[in-house]
Amino acid sequence: MSEQALAGIRVIECGELVAASYATKLMADLGAEVIKIEAPEGDAARRRGPYPGGVVDPEKSGLFLYLNANKLGMTLDLTRPDGQRVLADLTAEADLLVHNYRPCDMRQRGLSYEPLAEVNPRLIEVSITPFGLEGPNCDLEYTNLTLWNAGGIANLNGAGPGSDERPPLVAFGQQAEFQGGLNGAIAGMAALFARLSSDKGQHVSVSIQESLAAILELTFEYYPYMGLIASRLGQKPIQPLDFLECKDGWIFVCCVEEHQWHTLVDLMGNPEWASIELFENRLTRAQNWDALKMFMQEWAADQSVAELYHAGQARRIPLAPASSMGELFASDHLKARGFFATIEHPVAGPARMPGAPYQMTATPWALRRPAPLLGQHTAEVLSDVLRLSPPQIDTLRRQGVI
Amino acid sequence: MSTKLPLEGVRVADFTWVWAGPFCTLQLAHLGAEVIRVETATRPCVTRMLPPWRDGQPGINRSGYFNQYNQGKLSLALDLKQPRAVEIAKELVAKSDIVCENFAAGVMDRLGLGYETLRSIRPDIIMIALSGYGATGPEHEYVSYGPAQVPLSGLSSLTGYAGSPPMHVGISYGDPTGGLHGAFAVLAALLHRAKTGMGQYIDLSQQETSIAVLAEGTTEYDMNGTQPPRNGNRDPWMAPHGVFRCRGEQRWVAIAVRTDAEWKQLAAMIEGQANDPRFATLAGRKRHEDELEAIVTGWTVKQTREEVVAVLQQAHIPAFATYDSKDLSEDTHLNASGIFAELDHPEVGTLRHVGIPWRMQGTPCKVQRAAPCLGQHTELVMRNILGYTASQIAGLQTDGILR
Repeated sequence: MSEQALAGIRVIECGELVAASYATKLMADLGAEVIKIEAPEGDAARRRGPYPGGVVDPEKSGLFLYLNANKLGMTLDLTRPDGQRVLADLTAEADLLVHNYRPCDMRQRGLSYEPLAEVNPRLIEVSITPFGLEGPNCDLEYTNLTLWNAGGIANLNGAGPGSDERPPLVAFGQQAEFQGGLNGAIAGMAALFARLSSDKGQHVSVSIQESLAAILELTFEYYPYMGLIASRLGQKPIQPLDFLECKDGWIFVCCVEEHQWHTLVDLMGNPEWASIELFENRLTRAQNWDALKMFMQEWAADQSVAELYHAGQARRIPLAPASSMGELFASDHLKARGFFATIEHPVAGPARMPGAPYQMTATPWALRRPAPLLGQHTAEVLSDVLRLSPPQIDTLRRQGVI
Repeated sequence: MSTKLPLEGVRVADFTWVWAGPFCTLQLAHLGAEVIRVETATRPCVTRMLPPWRDGQPGINRSGYFNQYNQGKLSLALDLKQPRAVEIAKELVAKSDIVCENFAAGVMDRLGLGYETLRSIRPDIIMIALSGYGATGPEHEYVSYGPAQVPLSGLSSLTGYAGSPPMHVGISYGDPTGGLHGAFAVLAALLHRAKTGMGQYIDLSQQETSIAVLAEGTTEYDMNGTQPPRNGNRDPWMAPHGVFRCRGEQRWVAIAVRTDAEWKQLAAMIEGQANDPRFATLAGRKRHEDELEAIVTGWTVKQTREEVVAVLQQAHIPAFATYDSKDLSEDTHLNASGIFAELDHPEVGTLRHVGIPWRMQGTPCKVQRAAPCLGQHTELVMRNILGYTASQIAGLQTDGILR
């Protein structure tokens, strides 16, 4: 196997849940050596699942197993001075420190940059925070849900026109945290690249709220450009861009260009209603979408999603299934690309998970080891990286530091 | 002390359009790379043709959508339908470090700008293609639009109100997610090139980068053969966990109660029914969640969202208002943080854009300039980078190559 892109880079991660863990997963998957430090009770992702059969087991959380494959794991109590000393010794031997604590939590855990950089001026610290390192909101309590709302995306999603009573709707999963993780990974890589010429590390911080405000598509600019405020309650500018229910699932019908609509009408067998003036162009189809959707829904009800998807795509209409997880795992396309990867975990057994999200021709993505058991590599890391002797490690263990 | 930007001296030949590709190169521009958009008036970027327009007046350089995602870049007008223009594009690639594109499958090859060709011109080039389905596999030629990626990747089947159809997430989420993964991969390839001198080709599938962020969905299926049901704003491990109506027109607040202790505090504020012992444990609150949410709404609806957030944060319970673009723009914290970039643009004037969501203390990044007008830097690029004389440039303009 040719060398991985990030081989030789050592990363210390103090991650809770998703943001820092995903940032360092991206690095670990490209060959960085990531040492994940968990509090003695373990990363919160161990307590979220999903679990096999729904039975809670911190060694079998799907979220944890996915985010932390390819990493070494150790426990360390960062709330104690002894633990902070071990952390400082580790960062002295590292290229990157990545965490997702708020400023107030950072101070309690010995994660402030200056003292660590005094020992290792080449250290890059990436702080992925909910609201940045300073300012009135920097220490606010948060979860993925509150951040998705704070970033302005929740306001854009939910029941559409006429559904004023229904709340804004969050996207599934931990998307706010994933976005923070992606931005943290980019800023961390950029700092590594800058270090090639400066030979100096630096402190980099990411605000998750800002990371979300940066992806509002065309909606944010409606305010400065036109004084308008976009929301989920507004009508879509063009149609069809909506879901229809088929006999075996849902299809997303997407006609952006007029020729796509005409081809779709042809695929639908040129029904009489399609030539009604109200549905003449993409703008009038949006204005009259309620009526048009009823006609189209009636037509779609007898169709199979897969047949419709492939028939539409064969005619260059950008239809898409509302894929279920099972359909993704069964997809011939994803199989042909070798997307899903499998790894055997000592407690959870074999796990299939999303693999390389991009294929790099010269430097492979690789799943090399399963996620660590809680504290699995504590002694190994202390001995290999810090050259501690077995009695020294025993002392730390007796003191409850590790 | 003059501080170099992280990617200062790195040049990007940017053949991207719409959102995913431009969002990838936007990150590189934010980091100080010289990003040169290759674009043409004969088929302008879709986002140049979409609102919002400055003062509602359409124009190819007046779109807030385009101007938001092309900050800091240069624009070279080049009609790639013409062979002479393709030769100029190759000259640009010869002087670039990175090529980025997100055309439909096969377009770059048909233009004569495929990876093998570009590699023969510039052996250490790093090229990334961001496509909907990737460059291989039986569906790689399928048509992909941003809004269709959300359902295709599975996110829609997991998102929606309980018992209701799959839904969107409000934005074409696969585009920024693909763009960010792409920027990360390019940076990793740059680090590898710095060490080895080798470039490479990166084949990014937006479908795959979108699936990569569904962790709790894919793993549940793998473990149990099931997937989490669409369940509105609820969470299996927290209750109440939702977006609640407040006093005023379309005023909402997100609240997430993480523990029984937090609920006890909130229940004390709400008083009355909230203190029912049925709600004392997470299991109890999940069992009676409709009732629980009605009680919380009864409390929030009498207050402003600001009041609710203040009292909950005081008690260390996560809460935040549902922000829209006006709220974001007027937020005190964000106005002090440096996220907004007031960019002076030749046609739309000085307007606010969302800038860089990270701070690098050693190499402070700042948006270098407003998004370019189409072809704004054609002469600059042709003269300073590619070495053409004024009369050669004029000739190419007359011939319709530089448009």
